Amino acid sequence: MRIQALSGDADFCKKLASSSFHGFVHSVFERTINLKCLDDNELYTIACNKLDNGPNTLVIDLPSLSGMEVAEGDPVYGKGDELIVGSGVFICMRQATKWEAHLPSYPCDIDVLRENVAFMKQYVDAKGKTGGMKMSSRPASLFERETSRMLNERAEALSIELAKGNSESASEQAVRLVGLGPGLTPSGDDFLVGLCIVYKMQNIPCCLSCRFFEKVVESSRELTNEISSITLKKAASGKVRESLVDLLRCLTQGSREELLPALEKVVGIGSSSGTDMALGLICGLERNLEAGGNVCLPKL
Amino acid sequence: MSTKVVIKQSTYFDSVSLMSLSTKANQIEGVEQAVIAMGTEMNKEVLKNVGLLTPELEAAKSSDLMIVVKAATEELAESAYVQIEELFTKKKGGSKGASEIKYPTIDSAAASIPEANLAIISVNGAFAAREARKALENDLHVMLFSDNVSIEDEIALKQYAHEKGLLMMGPDCGTAIINGVALCFGNAVRKGSIGIVGASGTGSQEVSVRIHDFGGGITQLIGTGGRDLSEQVGGIMMIDGIKALEADAATKVIVLISKPPAASVQEKVLAQVKNCTKPVVVYFIGGDEEAVVAAGGHFAKTTKEAALKAVVLAGANEDEINKRALNWPLIEEVRAKLAPEQKYVRGLFCGGTLCDEAMYLAMETFADVYSNIQKNPDYKLKNIHESKAHTYLDMGDDDFTNGKPHPMIDPSLRIARFLQEAKDPSVGVILMDFILGFGSHEDPVGVMLPAIVEAKAQAAKAGRHLEILGYVMGTDLDTPNFDEQVKKLMDAGVTIASSSTNAGLLAREFVVKGA
Amino acid sequence: MNMSKINELFAGNIHAINVGIEFFKDDIIKQNANATHLEWKPPGGGKPELIRALDRLENAALADKIAAANKLAVERIINSQPMLVGFDQAINVVPGMTKTTILHAGPPITWDKMCGAMKGAVTGAIVFEGLAKDIEEAEQVAASGAITFSPCHEHNCVGSMAGVTSASMFMHVVKNKTYGNVAYTNMSEQMAKILRMGANDESVITRLNWMRDVLGPMLRDAMKIAGEIDLRLMLAQALHMGDECHNRNNAGTSLLIQALTPHILQTDFTTEQKREVFEFVASSDYFSGPTWMALCKCALDAAHGIENSTIVTTMARNGVEFGIRVSGMAGNTWFTGPAQKVIGPMFAGYKPEDSGLDIGDSAITETYGIGGFAMAAAPAIVALVGGTVEEAIGFSTTMKEITTAENPNVTIPLLDFQGVATGIDIRQVIQTGILPVINTAIAHKDAGIGMIGAGITYPPMEAFEKALLALTESIS
Repeated sequence: MRIQALSGDADFCKKLASSSFHGFVHSVFERTINLKCLDDNELYTIACNKLDNGPNTLVIDLPSLSGMEVAEGDPVYGKGDELIVGSGVFICMRQATKWEAHLPSYPCDIDVLRENVAFMKQYVDAKGKTGGMKMSSRPASLFERETSRMLNERAEALSIELAKGNSESASEQAVRLVGLGPGLTPSGDDFLVGLCIVYKMQNIPCCLSCRFFEKVVESSRELTNEISSITLKKAASGKVRESLVDLLRCLTQGSREELLPALEKVVGIGSSSGTDMALGLICGLERNLEAGGNVCLPKL
Repeated sequence: MSTKVVIKQSTYFDSVSLMSLSTKANQIEGVEQAVIAMGTEMNKEVLKNVGLLTPELEAAKSSDLMIVVKAATEELAESAYVQIEELFTKKKGGSKGASEIKYPTIDSAAASIPEANLAIISVNGAFAAREARKALENDLHVMLFSDNVSIEDEIALKQYAHEKGLLMMGPDCGTAIINGVALCFGNAVRKGSIGIVGASGTGSQEVSVRIHDFGGGITQLIGTGGRDLSEQVGGIMMIDGIKALEADAATKVIVLISKPPAASVQEKVLAQVKNCTKPVVVYFIGGDEEAVVAAGGHFAKTTKEAALKAVVLAGANEDEINKRALNWPLIEEVRAKLAPEQKYVRGLFCGGTLCDEAMYLAMETFADVYSNIQKNPDYKLKNIHESKAHTYLDMGDDDFTNGKPHPMIDPSLRIARFLQEAKDPSVGVILMDFILGFGSHEDPVGVMLPAIVEAKAQAAKAGRHLEILGYVMGTDLDTPNFDEQVKKLMDAGVTIASSSTNAGLLAREFVVKGA
Repeated sequence: MNMSKINELFAGNIHAINVGIEFFKDDIIKQNANATHLEWKPPGGGKPELIRALDRLENAALADKIAAANKLAVERIINSQPMLVGFDQAINVVPGMTKTTILHAGPPITWDKMCGAMKGAVTGAIVFEGLAKDIEEAEQVAASGAITFSPCHEHNCVGSMAGVTSASMFMHVVKNKTYGNVAYTNMSEQMAKILRMGANDESVITRLNWMRDVLGPMLRDAMKIAGEIDLRLMLAQALHMGDECHNRNNAGTSLLIQALTPHILQTDFTTEQKREVFEFVASSDYFSGPTWMALCKCALDAAHGIENSTIVTTMARNGVEFGIRVSGMAGNTWFTGPAQKVIGPMFAGYKPEDSGLDIGDSAITETYGIGGFAMAAAPAIVALVGGTVEEAIGFSTTMKEITTAENPNVTIPLLDFQGVATGIDIRQVIQTGILPVINTAIAHKDAGIGMIGAGITYPPMEAFEKALLALTESIS
């Protein structure tokens, strides 16, 4: 089976072009396949064409990966413009366009942002998926109710520390969210992904120390699974999937018309993952709106 | 109250599946509470808070999947767990069986597969028209590969398709690319903004390959079948094809390819070109430049020129394209190697249009150009098994195949003919095409190679230089690998032409004497 | 003209139906598009006159007429509600029956051409009727012209295997509650060594006498008390219980005797006689086999003779020829071809060369949509006919390719309760080259031996070809 790659994370493409990729298939899903690279121990993702670009991700020209004869543990080998998965899948990189996550800058004119965040909050309240950060009015089980309760309690505690501008104690609260919640990527992790990229924007009024991000990443190695951990690690360096970058861009500078589809796309991610990430974005942006006010750093 | 705990090590399910599993698990009768979650520290903390944490769960790792079922009795918990397991297997199973249903007729397949939108028909010509009609009746577009379909049937099918607004590609249509999918014979080419309507299969393939080589890409390649531009058929499919490409937003430039059409049909087609809002490049082999230009079309004399014009019209910068100019020093070199009596070119082609193009280029220089597909009866070979002067053979023509597979698939006939030509001391150049891509032989060069080596050796023994000129039609995306095929030929001492047009020109120039 | 369909194609995903060269499908799949390869055969086996006939019948005006006629025919098959209303001797109920008439299975045949099994059955019946003192004499009587031979089917009857039916044999009387017509069939002799299989020795005649004197009258009296039994409902239940009602009748026989028992008990026969009857029924699951045949015949007769219809209403074999009748050719127009071998496992001690050719009117079950057509309902039988469960399911789904409807009254659980394939259309048989599949018993080729196995067979294509050509002439 020979498949064309449509687009790919620029770093991933560069890695393939400059050195050889050695690894194995880590996990197989209907829409993604994760590869574990033995050189850097990171996870890389092959995604179907219905998914967006993302860090360490290659989007290939197939609507679903369920027909690919790939199993966990299959060897993966790549060099130059070809990635060979298992014995029969050849992914050709020649036509892949390169993609990079570019976060927008924190805007000078925060009125648009303020309005958009307010709208997004309403939207998530109305349409967001429950089960994770957002509590269902009728939880399916005690476990679900308790999970949501703990998530909210800890997010709130984190939010308070962020408002105080205390990186050290904020990081302690953040760690308590890592690995908490249902889903393949636990809701707490998704929330932190959203939060992290807000603080990774240029010109962000309240800076968090590097230590905050380091601590989150470090703790995630133990506290959550590999797939979620790599997502957090990338987010902590400002790299997230394209739909999230788009949403952040629309929030900072877009009109309502542009914002709505971007928002729908993110809320549609996974089960509650998109909602959890959106709530992370909201939390981070609100803290900055409060703290930064009308101040535009470059103009100071 | 009883609790059943299972830990699945290093098991990953996507979130949507996990959530729906969890929801369903909680709905199973008798279940007090069911938890399906990753075994992270924090999730274990939640379990502890709700009183479900057991030592077993405590040991779960963050990559493990925890399944906890709490029910009134042990039996209920067990049976609920069995049901949860079923939910898992259902998720993983997929529906392989469904795809294996066999349908005997187009009617039944079309009724059972509502998403079907195209029929490819390659049955014996005696039955093909009927199947094509069935496909059209079922609102399927048709690619009719079969030949030997009567002209009456062709007209009826095309008129019916025209009324229904469907494509009726063929009969005798070997090439099409729809939405980037090559049907029957075709090459793997880039997606782009150039649409092709072609009445000649290998000609369309060649233009698509050249467009790819020049950095352009294809939206759609619509085949019409070889007789579409005849007086009787009247170009129904080509005209509908132009209209469809005009209406297609992705298509910026249209290329038409055909052998010279009947005069009345050319008029009709060019009238359509005149009305077309998009630039149209017209390559009618040996066609009439004036008429094309008068209709506002862009005239191309060769396949290469057609591709180049299309790519430039589509927005490429002409100066940045490697046009692969003729290698004149090479021509001089070959001329010097050939003895005075080695005067003739023998072209042995799989591709009909490739043969046609090379032949027309030869006819510009020489009068004595013979072929099995010559229009002029004086130069049409009486005995196709014996060459005369310059001879260009379309070995895919019925004269040769006569019930046997096409030389693209079965090369044995061409090998025999090649060895025969190689012995002829009046032959200076043997020109052959090698067609890569979907539908073709898996190693067209490989099967020819032993004969080439043998011929070269025998010519050397006889003190002659035998110039073998090869053209490999394919792209860097094709299977078999283009570079490897070319390399094999070069290693065997074959000169490589970079396009069908250059192949025709080089062959001609190699045998020009005393220039 | 309307261009949108072409532009729709440009905008959508390719799903091609590939007819002919298979690797075109593989190449499309390699390019990550969808393709389905047809299991295509040239229509009419590639015979030009048949293709011309198909083409002619596809002419829009004709096709509409045929579709309307076929719809009517199939509706009548499906809507028929055959009821068992009684048992009686042939001479009393069967139209055209005389003391010297012998009915036989399949299309018409003369004594001299009959196969061994049928000859054995005919001579046995002549002795049974007292028209000859022994088999030897019976042969002379049969050849003398004193006996009127006629196909069961031409007398509203069906007969399993040799189908030999004579005046004093007891018959099922099955009435079509919807359309009023009546169908008949004689009764199962249960064992392997029986008249219908061509056996005719003393034990066979003794059993026939007992059936005439005890079994038949008892069931007749029982049905007088019972009134009527809804056979279609019972058939539907039997299919849900794992029968296909041609070669497997375990469930159907239980259901039938269960319905009859209270009434049998009320008859004036002795307990000993009743016990004999119950033991006889219990001795073979085949007891209800003929009952279902009569049901099918009753439904199909109601659909026979509809002008312009191309639906098959009869498939029957006489051991030499296989004959079909088509609704659009009213009356007794038979289209025949040579009877085929039956392929399947044999009883111990017999070899394939011992088997006679396909015989019997029991293919009426397949004509109706059960038997071989309902194999998916009876996975237990697959070993008997020498196949796999997957094949059994395949038979049932494949038959939908040559039929025009599904019978919602008779469904198959394993196929998501789809109705059985109903209404064989000769055009579809010719178009697809798919023949109706028939489950059947194998009789020994020689007279006097009986059943030696069971298996699967198909009609000869020739019968359908002749029918198509004749219909093409008659439909206008």
